[in-house]
Amino acid sequence: MPFATPLALLGLLFVPLVVAMYLLKLRRDRTVVPSTLLWSRLVTDVEANAPWQKLRRSLLLLLQLLLVVILALLAARPFLERPAGLARDIVLIVDASASMAATDVAPNRMAVAHDAAIAALRDLPSGGTVSVIAAGQTARVVASGSSDLGRIRQAVTSIRPVPSAGDLDDALGLADALAARSGDAEVLVATDAALGEQPTARVDAPVRVLQVGRERRNQAIVALAIRTARSGLTKSAFISVANLDIERAEPRLEVYGDGVLLDSRDLSLDAQARADVVVDDITQGGEFPEPDVIEVRLVPREETGRPDQLATDDRAWAVVPDDEPRQVLLVSDGDPYLETALSYLPNVELYGRTPAEYATTTGLDQFELVIFEGFVPATLPATAVLAIAPPRTSALGEVRGTLREPGIGTLAPDEPVLRYVDLSTTHIAVARQLVLPDWARTVIPGPANAPLLYAGERDGQRTAVLAFEPRQSDLPLQVAFPILLANLTGELLGGSGAPTEAAAPGDPITLPVPAGATGLRVERPDGTSVELAPGTLGGTALTFSQTDQLGVYTVTPVGLPDATASPRDTGSRSPTPTPGGGASPSGGASPSNSSSATPAAGGDDPSAPIRFAVDLFDVAESNIAPGSAAALTALGGGPAASPGASGSAATAPRAERPPARDELWVPIVLLVLLGLSIEWAVYQRDALTLLWRRLGARIRGRPAGGG
Amino acid sequence: MTNARPADETPPNRGGERVRRAFLPSNVDPTVFDEGFLRQLERLLLLMKRPVRGGLKGGRRSVKRGQSVEFADYRDYSLGDDLRQLDWNVYARLERLFVKLFVEEEDVTVTFVIDGSASMAAGRPSKLLFAKRAAAALGYIALASEDRVAVTVLGGRVARRQPPLRGSGRVFRLLSSLSAIDVAPGTTDLVAAARHAAAQLGGRGVVVLISDLLDPAADRVIRELAATSSELVVLHVLSPDELDPTLEGDLRLVDAESGDGIDVTVDLATLDAYRTRLAAWQAAFADLAAKRRASYVSVPSDLPLVELVFAELRRHRVLG
Repeated sequence: MPFATPLALLGLLFVPLVVAMYLLKLRRDRTVVPSTLLWSRLVTDVEANAPWQKLRRSLLLLLQLLLVVILALLAARPFLERPAGLARDIVLIVDASASMAATDVAPNRMAVAHDAAIAALRDLPSGGTVSVIAAGQTARVVASGSSDLGRIRQAVTSIRPVPSAGDLDDALGLADALAARSGDAEVLVATDAALGEQPTARVDAPVRVLQVGRERRNQAIVALAIRTARSGLTKSAFISVANLDIERAEPRLEVYGDGVLLDSRDLSLDAQARADVVVDDITQGGEFPEPDVIEVRLVPREETGRPDQLATDDRAWAVVPDDEPRQVLLVSDGDPYLETALSYLPNVELYGRTPAEYATTTGLDQFELVIFEGFVPATLPATAVLAIAPPRTSALGEVRGTLREPGIGTLAPDEPVLRYVDLSTTHIAVARQLVLPDWARTVIPGPANAPLLYAGERDGQRTAVLAFEPRQSDLPLQVAFPILLANLTGELLGGSGAPTEAAAPGDPITLPVPAGATGLRVERPDGTSVELAPGTLGGTALTFSQTDQLGVYTVTPVGLPDATASPRDTGSRSPTPTPGGGASPSGGASPSNSSSATPAAGGDDPSAPIRFAVDLFDVAESNIAPGSAAALTALGGGPAASPGASGSAATAPRAERPPARDELWVPIVLLVLLGLSIEWAVYQRDALTLLWRRLGARIRGRPAGGG
Repeated sequence: MTNARPADETPPNRGGERVRRAFLPSNVDPTVFDEGFLRQLERLLLLMKRPVRGGLKGGRRSVKRGQSVEFADYRDYSLGDDLRQLDWNVYARLERLFVKLFVEEEDVTVTFVIDGSASMAAGRPSKLLFAKRAAAALGYIALASEDRVAVTVLGGRVARRQPPLRGSGRVFRLLSSLSAIDVAPGTTDLVAAARHAAAQLGGRGVVVLISDLLDPAADRVIRELAATSSELVVLHVLSPDELDPTLEGDLRLVDAESGDGIDVTVDLATLDAYRTRLAAWQAAFADLAAKRRASYVSVPSDLPLVELVFAELRRHRVLG
C-alpha cells in the first residue's frame, strides 16, 4: 500500500515509548486491611507484578499500542490508486440561477448540484486542479486552479442560488478561457439546464453536464404594476401570474399594502397558462392611508395545500407611485394628434395656448412642462421644455434649414426615450435641420449628423427638441407615437410621470442625490444598509448595483444639514415648483439612466426616503423544467463530446494522466474510533458490568446484589 | 424487628427506668455501652417474655444424668454404682438390676471467648465493639437465666479468663469486664490462645467464640474449643468492608496485624473472586462446626443486636 507521507511512519517509534511508560506507570496505593488472608489466597495478580507478565495480560496496553500503530498509519496517508475519470484540469461551473433553488429534489437543486459536483471531483487525477465558476447573473470565479480538494469543496458549497437568471453563456466563455490554458482540461457544468436561452458559447474542452432537477411544478408572479386610474383618485394593481407546470394549479393570490392584507384571490390556472389579475382601489378609500409598498404573494390554498417548487418567484413587490397630476402647457396652432396623445397620458393636465396668446399667458412657472410646436418664444420659460419643429435658432439649438424626407439613422438600443418605440416603418415628410448642442444627446439620429430628436439638460432645465411636427409624418398613425410621447414627457417631467416599474435583480440603479446631501444610505430588503457617496463632490447621482435581493430597497439621504429645512434654499438645483404641490424628484434621474426602474420619491422633501422594488419577473427563469443536458454537452469539444474521435488534441494527454487517489483515512479514522471505544469500554468494564447487573436486576424486579 | 424502638427513644416506663446512665459504674466504657445500648438490653429482656426459660439452650441440653427429681432413663447396674439408685421395684418384677437415671440440674457456665487480635479493631463499627456488645447482650440474658457468665479474651498466645459472674445483679460487672477488653498489640496466635482457653474451661457449659477467624489456622481454633465438654457457638464477625470490599485499582494491601503487604489489582473480577472465596471460607467453617456439633453464625459487625438475638441466633437454634 503506498503512502502519501511515508515519513509519518516514524510515529511507530512511539510504540516502545508507550511500553516504557506502561512499565514505569505501576504505582500502587497503600491500603491497610484487617487481614490479607483472603486476598493472598485468591490473587494471582501477585505474580503479574513481574513487568513482562503484566504486559502480557494488559488488554489496555495492547489497545493503546494498536491505536499508536493506526494513528501512525493515518498520518502516513495510505491510498489506493485507480484510473482517473477526469482530465487533469477541471473547470467546474455551478449554475447559480434562481431555478436552482427549486425543491423538487431534496433539499434543493443547488445542494444536490453541490453533492454531484463534489462526487464527480473524486475522479480527479492526482495533482489535478479545479477552477470553480458560479454562474449567477454574471460569471464569477470562486476558486481558481486549486488542487486542494477541501478548499474546492468549500468554494462549491459557498455558491448559493441568486434570485435572477443565470448567465451560463458568460460562464462557459470564462470556462473556455480557463480551460484553454491547460493541455488537458474538461468543463463540468452542474445545472438543471432550465435555461430560457440556450447558451451559444463554444468550448474547446469537453463539456460534461451534471444535471439536477426532476419536476416543473411552479407558478410565478411574472408582472406587477401599480397604475393610477384615469380619475387620478385611485390606484390599481395589475398582476400577472403564470403557471409553468403541465398540470392545472389553483394557488391563492394575496395582496398586501404595507404588510396589511388588502385582497385575496383564489386563482385557477390552466397548465402553461397565464392569468392577469387586477386589484382595484388598493388605496382602500380615505379611511386608510395610501400604502407605500404593495406586496403580492402566491400561496398554496389550504384545501390543495401543495406549494410549488420554487419560492423565489412567489413574491413580488411594487412601490406605489406618487402620481400627482402634472400641468403641461401646449403652445401650438392646433395639432389634434398631439393634443389627443397628450391628453391620454396619465397624470397629465393639459392646457393649450396659441403662440399669439403665449406672450400674455401668466403663471408660466406653474407648469412643469411647456411644449412649443412650430414656435419658440423670445424668452424661454424656466421649466422643462419640449420644442417641436422650432422655426428658428434659439437657446434650444441651431436651426440650419429644412430636411425633405429625412431617413432615420441607427437607434441606440438602450435609449430610454425609445423604449418600446418602433420607428422602423416611420416616414417623415419635412423636418428641421438641427445641430446638436453640446448639452444634449441624440435620441433619433437623422441624415448627416442632423438629429431628428435630441434631449438633455439646458441650464438646469430638462429640454428636448423634435425636428419635425408629428403631422408632417406618419408617426401619429403608429403605436410608437403615444409611447414615444409618454417616454419623452416622462423624462422631461422628471420620472414620476412614468409608471413605477421594478428593477431586475442585479441591475444597477441610478439614485438621485438631493442637494446638500453627502451621500445615500440604502437599506436592503434583508435589513442591511449600504452607504454610498458620490464619486465627485457635489455629484447629483449615484449608481447602486447591489440589487441582488428581491424586495423593496429604501434610500435615505445622508448628511443633509437639516431634514426639515427647505432644500430650495440650500441646493443649487432647486426642484421645480408644481402648481398642485405634487411630487417631483429632485432632478437626479439622468436621461442616460440604464435602469428600468424609476425610484419613487416621497414628496418634494429631499430628505424623504426613496423606495424602489427589485423583482424577478422572469418567465424563463421561473420555468424550472429541466432542460436538455445534451445541448450543453454539444457545446464542448474533445472526446467527451465525440467519444469516437481519436487523435484529437484532448485525447493525447489522456494516457499521461496520473491515476486518481483514494485516501483511506475514513476507514482508518473509523478504526481509531472503534479502538478508542473498545479501550474506553475495557477501562470502564467494571462500571459497565455493574450497570449491566443493576439493569438486569431491575428488569427481573429485584434489587441488585452487590456481593 | 418491627417492634424494636430506636435507641434514642424514651423507653417504656417500667423497663426503661431500671437501667439509666446515672447508675452506670465509672469502669463501664460509655462509648461501648451507652445509654441506648442499655435500653436495648432492657428491651431484649422485655421482648423475651419469659427470660429465664429463654436462656442459652446449650445449658438446657446437658446430657449429664445426675441427682434430681426428674426421671430420665434406666441403665444396667455395673459394679460401683450407688446402690441407692437401684430400682428395686423393677428388680422384683424382672430380677434384674437397673439403675434409675435422673436429669442433673447443674450450674451452667456461659463462657464468652472474645478474639482480641488486632484485626478485630477494624471495621465500622469495629468487630471488637460488636463482640463486646454481643457478649453483653447474651451475657445479660444468661445472668437473667441464673447461669454463670465468664469472659475470656484471646490475645498473643494466651487467653485471659476473668472470674465468672452469677446473678442478674452482676450485669454491670460484666459490662465493666467487657469494657476493659482491648486488642492485643502485635500478632496473635489464635490457635495457641484458643488451646489455652480450652484448658481453662472447667465442667460443662456453653462456649461462645466471637472472632473474625482471620487466621490461617482458624479451623483448629474451632476444633480446640469444640473438643471441650462445653457446647460451642461460633459467632463469626466480619465487618461490612470485609464482606463487600469497596477497594478499586492497583493497591498494596497491608495486613493490620503482621504488617505484611501484597500487591493486587482490584477490579470487578477480583471482587467477584473475593466474594466467592469468602463464601467458601465461611461454608468451610459452617461445615466444620456442624461436624463438631457446634453452632456457627456468621454476622456482619453492623448487625443490630435485636436482630442478632431474635433472628440470627434463634434461626441457628442457639437461643430457645
